[in-house]
Amino acid sequence: MQTNENPERESSIEYSSTPVLQHSSTPVFPQVRRTPSRFRNAIGKYRLRRSSACVACGTCAEVCPYGVHKKRNSKMAKPEDYLCIGFSCNKCVTECPENALSMEENPLTGVIGDRRWTPDLLISTWYMAETGEAPPGDIEYKTGDSGGGFDRLRFHYTKEPSNELDEAGFSTRIPLNRLNDGRADVQIDIPVYGGGMSYGSISLKVMVARARAWKAWNSFTCTGEGGYPEELYPYDDHVITQVATGLFGVREDTIQRVKIVEFKYAQGAKPGLGGHLLGDKVTPNVAKMREAVPGSSLFSPFPFHSVYSVEDHKKHIDWIKEMNPEALVSVKVSTPTDVDMVAVGSYYAGAHIIHLDGSYGGTGAAPEIAKKNIAMPIEYAIVKVHSFLKEEGIRDKITVIASGGIRTAHDVAKAMALGADGVVIGTSEMVALECIRCKNCESGRGCARGIATTDPELTELIDVDWATQRLVNLFAAWRKQLVGILQRLGMRDIRELVGRTDCLRHLDYVG
Amino acid sequence: MNKSFANRIIHSRRDLYPASPPAQYKDAEEGGCGVTGFACSVPVGGKHIFEPSRLMHNRGNGKGGGIAAAGLIAEDLGVASDVLDDCYLIQIALLDPGVQQEVERQFIAPSMEIAAGHRIPTVDDYRDVKGLEIKPPDVWRYFVRVKQDVLAAFGEKSGLDDIEPRKVEDEFIWQNTIRLNRAFYDTLGDKQAFVLSQGRNMMILKIVGYAEQVAEYYQLEDMRAHVWIAHQRYPTKGRVWHPAGAHPFMGLDEALVHNGDFANYYSVAEYLKQKNIYPHFHTDTEVSILVFDLLNRVYGYPLEYIIEALAPTTEMDFDQLPTDKQEIYHLLQSMHIHGSPDGPWFFIIARNHFYRKRFQLIGITDTAMLRPQVFAYHDGEVQVGLICSEKQAIDATLASLAEEDNRISTVADKYWNARGGSHTDGGAFVFSIMDDPENPGQKRMVCTDKFGNEVATPKNQLGCDVSLAISTPDNSDTLADTIAEHLGRGDVTALYAFVRKQIPITNFDTLRWCCKRIREEAEKDDIRRQTAIDALTLLNDIRYATGKLKRSSLLRIIRSTLKEIFGAVAPIGSDDKSTFRLITWDTRDKLIAPDGKQVTLVLNANGFPPEGDECDARLVCDAYAKGWKRFVCYGYRGQRFLGCGLGPGTKGVQIDVYGSSGDYLASGIDGLTISVHGNAQDQLGQILKSGKLVIYGDVGQTFMYGGKGGDVYVMGNAAGRPLINAVGRPKVVINGTALDYLAESFMAGDALKGGGFVILNGIEFDHQGAVQPQPTPYPGSNIFSLAAGGAIYVRDPHRILVEEQLNGGAFGELTREDWRLILPYLKENERLFEISVEDDLLMVNGKKKRPEEVYRKIAPLKMKELAKASVVE
Repeated sequence: MQTNENPERESSIEYSSTPVLQHSSTPVFPQVRRTPSRFRNAIGKYRLRRSSACVACGTCAEVCPYGVHKKRNSKMAKPEDYLCIGFSCNKCVTECPENALSMEENPLTGVIGDRRWTPDLLISTWYMAETGEAPPGDIEYKTGDSGGGFDRLRFHYTKEPSNELDEAGFSTRIPLNRLNDGRADVQIDIPVYGGGMSYGSISLKVMVARARAWKAWNSFTCTGEGGYPEELYPYDDHVITQVATGLFGVREDTIQRVKIVEFKYAQGAKPGLGGHLLGDKVTPNVAKMREAVPGSSLFSPFPFHSVYSVEDHKKHIDWIKEMNPEALVSVKVSTPTDVDMVAVGSYYAGAHIIHLDGSYGGTGAAPEIAKKNIAMPIEYAIVKVHSFLKEEGIRDKITVIASGGIRTAHDVAKAMALGADGVVIGTSEMVALECIRCKNCESGRGCARGIATTDPELTELIDVDWATQRLVNLFAAWRKQLVGILQRLGMRDIRELVGRTDCLRHLDYVG
Repeated sequence: MNKSFANRIIHSRRDLYPASPPAQYKDAEEGGCGVTGFACSVPVGGKHIFEPSRLMHNRGNGKGGGIAAAGLIAEDLGVASDVLDDCYLIQIALLDPGVQQEVERQFIAPSMEIAAGHRIPTVDDYRDVKGLEIKPPDVWRYFVRVKQDVLAAFGEKSGLDDIEPRKVEDEFIWQNTIRLNRAFYDTLGDKQAFVLSQGRNMMILKIVGYAEQVAEYYQLEDMRAHVWIAHQRYPTKGRVWHPAGAHPFMGLDEALVHNGDFANYYSVAEYLKQKNIYPHFHTDTEVSILVFDLLNRVYGYPLEYIIEALAPTTEMDFDQLPTDKQEIYHLLQSMHIHGSPDGPWFFIIARNHFYRKRFQLIGITDTAMLRPQVFAYHDGEVQVGLICSEKQAIDATLASLAEEDNRISTVADKYWNARGGSHTDGGAFVFSIMDDPENPGQKRMVCTDKFGNEVATPKNQLGCDVSLAISTPDNSDTLADTIAEHLGRGDVTALYAFVRKQIPITNFDTLRWCCKRIREEAEKDDIRRQTAIDALTLLNDIRYATGKLKRSSLLRIIRSTLKEIFGAVAPIGSDDKSTFRLITWDTRDKLIAPDGKQVTLVLNANGFPPEGDECDARLVCDAYAKGWKRFVCYGYRGQRFLGCGLGPGTKGVQIDVYGSSGDYLASGIDGLTISVHGNAQDQLGQILKSGKLVIYGDVGQTFMYGGKGGDVYVMGNAAGRPLINAVGRPKVVINGTALDYLAESFMAGDALKGGGFVILNGIEFDHQGAVQPQPTPYPGSNIFSLAAGGAIYVRDPHRILVEEQLNGGAFGELTREDWRLILPYLKENERLFEISVEDDLLMVNGKKKRPEEVYRKIAPLKMKELAKASVVE
């Protein structure tokens, strides 16, 4: 385990060159570096056992294309079976002269994950975070098994996949300011940025790692509602300050130092419930950042008490714009049935980004009953908003961002084909850092994996460089997949994909 | 037939609609809007609604504007006065002018006696009205009565024949309008014509555009009325709008404008459906007035009960009602709760109360007070009642009226907020204009709350006619010498004390002469200028005895003197030895850094937009960046965000604000000092980090939401929801009280260990400036709910506050430590507002008490106790 890194230290990530201008004609992407699990036993889909019959002949190491078997000195090392692609290969098992190897599906896959985040999705995300590549073999890394939403959508490709993909020949860059109002012309190199996760809900190290990774990809991370730790100052240009209903940690200074300010009106996972950070997680440091009382639960009200109408909303946006004449304003809302009106209202109020947060997202801290029953599923909301903005003739004046259960690169592409300009993710990042979706984010001192915690000891489970690189790798894998999708749809620029529902098929309606 | 009147009316409507009634959904979403209205004891022209409407552009988007007027003047309409009094004034908007004859043939001619009928005049070309993009509809106006035989037949057919004929006629008119609208206006299809208004002696006009364009297009500038209301709409759906969706909406003799939206449109529509009423235009506002009309005309409720049915009294307020009221209110709530709009709303209604012979302006706020609202009352020879979304609209109305009529002052006698669904005022106020029994032919206005309690202004005080020339008083030499001496020595206190002492014993003439003298002296040099400004500011801010002089008139004189002094400052960029510089909208591009000697930048905000890159608040940021640190900002008409955006570390910067300052003032400040010399608006001091904020008046909604620190002093009351989610170390003195929800989720540490607190004094000033306790230090049902930190120190010598008002807090005794903590803040409060700790705050019924006898501490319950309380054993 690598630990005890100072989160303030500059990243060790290698860039070919750091992008200085946001609009350099060819974006420079950070390099993928192999970054294995922090833990001795990484979880894979298959499990290989080596019996005492093994004579360390090394045949398995020779036949395995995935590096599962390694000969160390005169002995065979314990198989790194999380890299194994399973029965479709099985070479090591069949070719072992001593029949010393046996393979089974990892029984853990029966207990981790759920239908939305299937064991395959978890394992493949870990794999991508380690390698920057989609997993080989039969692991389903594109969709989950929820029986609805993105999991029932498939792309209808017009071209076969290409073996030699010229990644640099495809653009995945999107602009975030489409108002042309003289404010910052922010563009991001992948159509994805990081959602709000507060200091308190996650550790400082994870926050810093996210900021570094998003900066490396010339995109953004978001503070969430828990203040703006000084450790994020070096990444100001890649941080979104969230202004949420509790106004925790929001100061004029934190609004002025960033390029994007996000109003969080609601979260799709728990619309109408506001925010809550239970007392256990309000450690002295968290309380200090939010200027509240240690040990006391922190509640954000469900509405902005200053905003009960669209003209209040406009005033609220005007306020941010007055304090920061450069920044873009994003409005994050959940997806009620009249989300289309909300979007139009936000446009007229002067927002640059309308961020729709659907019902699939949320950490374990969001109540299950809320996650499943309140907001509209994001795939409906995107289409509703996209078409309505088009009808109103203002679609090209506002950036539509979707979030709430975007798990994979394919989810990204589907959301865009439905009409979003880009997406926001959250859980996928946590999974890249080896979250196993145990859903105990809110309880006690938090996360057993040191991610969603502020406990000083648990926090030490994460190393910032390691976490940064894992995220960088994940986004690299995603970009590669996005480019793959574009190629198969005959497109060169990700913006061509927006609103192309004709590229999608819903499994309920095809044979 | 023993059915009640209500049942028979409802029954008679069963054939109004086809078998499958229209769908029950909203046609448009509109969050909020700008609403404004005023009533005047003398009829005044429509031009006076022009300025307040224009000022509220940022509350609308030009997609719907409307105006209503009640209490019209017969000669302005070209009819005899009995025609105006008795006939229904039906106005029909023709979206397709070609259908006029058909409308008349089908719905007017067969059943009505037409006393007059004509197309109402407009300007020749709508494009002459600046900014008007869509041609407003042609409007035909008819003065009608229902034909006797038609009415008899209707009464018989509907089983209403034994009812007072005039009320049957009312119902006929109402049903006829429904039929007309159904025939000529299909919300989802063809739109040819619809009825704008149908009541007696009142009318509505509305367009796609802004409200003031209505007045301009239909040439209402000089058309007189006693009550005017206007609405700026902010619809967000659809690219095509129709004037029919704009406000006001009509009842029978009422017009209603509305700011807000309902969460329960469907429920209210279902409730109406049970009474055979179906909304036609599918907006919240329409169902609001339909409910009002149902309760008023069908159920025959008095206004108080109508208001109760709309905005029910709840929680502790309900408990505090007298038992007989509780019984009636309970029945009303049981019957009509489904028709009660849920969500943020604020109604302004213009009404001709035909059967009681009075014109009314009514403002009703929802129980939770979620929309902005300000009331004002100008008493005197000419009385004006005003209800608006923002105070600057009130000021603009008064300024406009004052320009035309010397008897009207630019400053009202009273400004206040209603407390929604309360037992104190019921969240509603009514300005009623009726015949003056003492002066035949004249009208008088009375202002009452929901319960009929009159809002009184000081009697026997004189107003000032500022149009008269200022004459020189007999003792002018002595006065001049004293003024010159104090100014010359830079002695603010002496000058202030001198003038203050004169006021109760002098007349307006002398006072105006003194002010003129001060102004002239002030122009001589900076010491005199600064002294004059400071002394006049004190005279403006502090409450003191004014004797026979009306304070509102006095303030008008003082404020205009200040304005003149500010206006005479050397312009920015000029070569002048003064350390003051004046910047205005016209000279904004000339902003330069102070030259080292220059100290004070005087900013005239008049003309600056209320928000956006060009707003005055941005100019202050730019000036600060250039090195200016001392600002005097005046001429405000609701411009927002002043003080925001200067960034951290602004200690030493000082902004003094005069006029109708706007929303979000001082939000986010970190170090600087802002003094607001008058009432302040909504959303002040959001996320305020540090610095000092002094408000010489009341402060509006959600004051210091998410505040983190700062020393804040409020001379008067705070409206709803102050200090919600405040953390850190804010220290706040509120000398009045708050409407409700004070310091909900307060999380500001431990007050005794550097955390935050609020001192709530619960006092007010009588009309001679003496401090007196309010009836209760805190009338709301919720104080310090869910709070986890900090404390509230409330002046409550009679222990009026009760446990039921707390939810997560606990009363405690004031300790010596507590007193030591708050005393310096009370001392500063004394210095700022002349509210004495010894003589006012610790004095109870004329007896000096110990601090712990006067103040109580409210602190958060410990988590453990909360947990215990929530676990059922």
